[in-house]
Amino acid sequence: MSKQPQKNKNFVPSRRSFLQGGLTAAGGAAVAAIGGGAALAAGTPDPAITELKDWNQYSGPGVDAAPYGVPSPFEAHVVRRDVPWLTADPISSINFTPLHELDGIITPNGLCFERHHSGVAEVDPAEHRLMINGLVDKPLVFTMQDLMRFPRENRVYFLECAANSGMEWRGAQLNGCQFTHGMLHNVMYTGVRLRTLLEEAGVKPAGKWILAEGADASGMGRSIPIEKALDDCLVAFKMNGEALRPEQGYPVRLCVPGWEGNMWVKWLRRIEVGDKPWQLREETSKYTDLMPDGRARRFTWAMDVKSVITNPSPQAPITHGRGHTIITGVAWSGHGKIKRVDVSIDGGRNWQHARIDGPSLSRSLHRFYYEFNWDGSPLYLQSRAIDEQGYVQPTKDALRAARGDNSIYHNNGIQTWYLKSNGEAENVEVS
Amino acid sequence: MSKFLKFTASIVLLGAAWATNANAQDADAGEKVFRKCAACHAVGEGAKNKVGPELNEIFGRVAGSLEDFKYSKAMTKAGEEGLVWDHDSLTEYLAKPRDYVKGTKMAFAGLKKDDEIANVIAYLATFSESAEQAAAESESAPAAAPVETASAAEPAVNAADAVIPEHGVYHLGREALPEEIAAWDIDVRPDGVGLPVGSGTVADGGVLYDENCAVCHGVFGEGEGRWPVLSGGFDTLTADRPVKTIGSYWPFASTIFDYVHRAMPFGNARSLSADQTYAITAYLLYLNDIVTEEDFELSNETFSEISLPNEENFYPDDRLEEANFATNVEPCMENCGDGPAEIVMRARILDVTPDGDEENGAGGID
Repeated sequence: MSKQPQKNKNFVPSRRSFLQGGLTAAGGAAVAAIGGGAALAAGTPDPAITELKDWNQYSGPGVDAAPYGVPSPFEAHVVRRDVPWLTADPISSINFTPLHELDGIITPNGLCFERHHSGVAEVDPAEHRLMINGLVDKPLVFTMQDLMRFPRENRVYFLECAANSGMEWRGAQLNGCQFTHGMLHNVMYTGVRLRTLLEEAGVKPAGKWILAEGADASGMGRSIPIEKALDDCLVAFKMNGEALRPEQGYPVRLCVPGWEGNMWVKWLRRIEVGDKPWQLREETSKYTDLMPDGRARRFTWAMDVKSVITNPSPQAPITHGRGHTIITGVAWSGHGKIKRVDVSIDGGRNWQHARIDGPSLSRSLHRFYYEFNWDGSPLYLQSRAIDEQGYVQPTKDALRAARGDNSIYHNNGIQTWYLKSNGEAENVEVS
Repeated sequence: MSKFLKFTASIVLLGAAWATNANAQDADAGEKVFRKCAACHAVGEGAKNKVGPELNEIFGRVAGSLEDFKYSKAMTKAGEEGLVWDHDSLTEYLAKPRDYVKGTKMAFAGLKKDDEIANVIAYLATFSESAEQAAAESESAPAAAPVETASAAEPAVNAADAVIPEHGVYHLGREALPEEIAAWDIDVRPDGVGLPVGSGTVADGGVLYDENCAVCHGVFGEGEGRWPVLSGGFDTLTADRPVKTIGSYWPFASTIFDYVHRAMPFGNARSLSADQTYAITAYLLYLNDIVTEEDFELSNETFSEISLPNEENFYPDDRLEEANFATNVEPCMENCGDGPAEIVMRARILDVTPDGDEENGAGGID
């Protein structure tokens, strides 16, 4: 366990710290230099093979050494990280999913980014209630046990904060896809359709909106049109098979598939049905998009088609030198499935189709790969997703032309990584 | 200790649970299940050994112990090692006979359904005095065997006694009481719906603001550190760095009341009374020049007089009208753009990626 580079609690492998030796976090001496593995093959026997290892000789821990299993100590660097200067206080703040350390489409529960407005509510499920009131035939109260007696469904959905990539509106700023794109996770939820609960209470004809409200100390609340509430919204109590994590809204949260993460109210305790939107703080002073003319869009709910290359990226340089190389990343759209992902290695001048592998589900992450023979020359790596509605991920310049620099939210522009000859990657924008 | 004794010791809890459920088993149904067994086994008055041993008084019988039946060596050995037929051992055996007693000559593959097993055992129990007695004992002393099921569920009430509401489709949950709705439904809309009865003046609000709010939001609402700026910022929405405040940006005054009442002060939410919230809201309107008199009193009566200057500048999402949302346009695949790509912006220039340095980037989230 002492092999981890635990310099300090806040160690973050940025571009600079990588050069200073942070690369050892990736697994030891083999990545100390480009071509290190190849050099060993030139005639020197590999001690990884010729020397007896502890794990090869001595018995390891027995069962139940960790009744709830944890990752290998060699993966200790795979954690959520925050950007302290973004917010006033960690209690009302955000951290980021380490996208560059993950593969496939599912985000492990402990790595799903956190966004709280008054910290993590520690809710006793025995004392948690979900109330439905307002324009309904009969206002109702459900216990958790009541909720679990409704017909359940299992659905995989991405959740993306509307502010994901928001710090990049004015130009390249943060070196790492964890920081530029990590307000994102993808989870299989088990829950009950919100529609089922609303029908149990009976929505009156005048009911056109719902208010979803959380039990946390921020009393998080968002207005949602009844059409969406009766469509695919899910009241979820399990994520990836186990109970929701406290930081994800234990014991129950709302899923609003394809729409901005702020609406996925955690610690969900109340649904009110009304005839108008409530215009609460998070849908007026926040999560509205300021346009160049000084006016502002409201109710910008859907998350548009988007993708990012997760490897290589500034936190995940290429350490193997030229030759067969895998580019991988994720793509998603709030408008449905991803139809296609294109990859460019020359800054968008020429594009090739990437290979999508794994489940292709509506409003879920898609994993893509592009394999090629890298000659070691510098590259400008980009990915561009197209969804089943035919929407094409735009360039950042196209977004700025339409929205200016100050809209903060809904930046789905194409990301460029500058891959250098030494395998490092940097967040840049190109002409 | 033989494997059968170990097994018996380990399923004491299961046995207790079974005993309380004894009545739920159906001996009549078990008689039908027993038809699968009857080709080889007899039970009841005058039953004789057939291909398999007769099964009268099977409960409490040591396995392989009938003197006039020729058992497999495995079954005889199991009996010598302590296997006694009871509810638990029969349950295991009948599910997978050849797994439970390896080498048994009973060719039957086993009963697949748990209720079939339970029912056929209940049927066999009617021909065993010791089993009948055990069932009677468990019935007469139900409190002696508290149900400790593995799921740690709450002790079940008698399911048949549960009251089923009439509402809805699934008849789940219960009606919310008016007091409960009042306790949680504190939201306030721009049209004033939800405003509680109460009032507070700008002057009162100033005192409360200084005590509760200024530490983060600044004495004049200018914001400390990265805490939200609440006042000023007029005419900055088209500027390079807009300052979005109540006065410059927020569309509705109701949002102030709602948010302060539900979520402020930070770390001590829901601690302000309705009157205090009216007062603080009035003071925030004053800091933003929306009201100008210190004796202005905001109340549920006067609330409708207030409007914020930026209300008309919000409009519904129209992203789909942007050029880049045109659908089914095949994007350029080859020789796109003018000449080779060149870097126009680098993150390393700003270098605000967190790595321990105290550098701050542009833009914030709050």
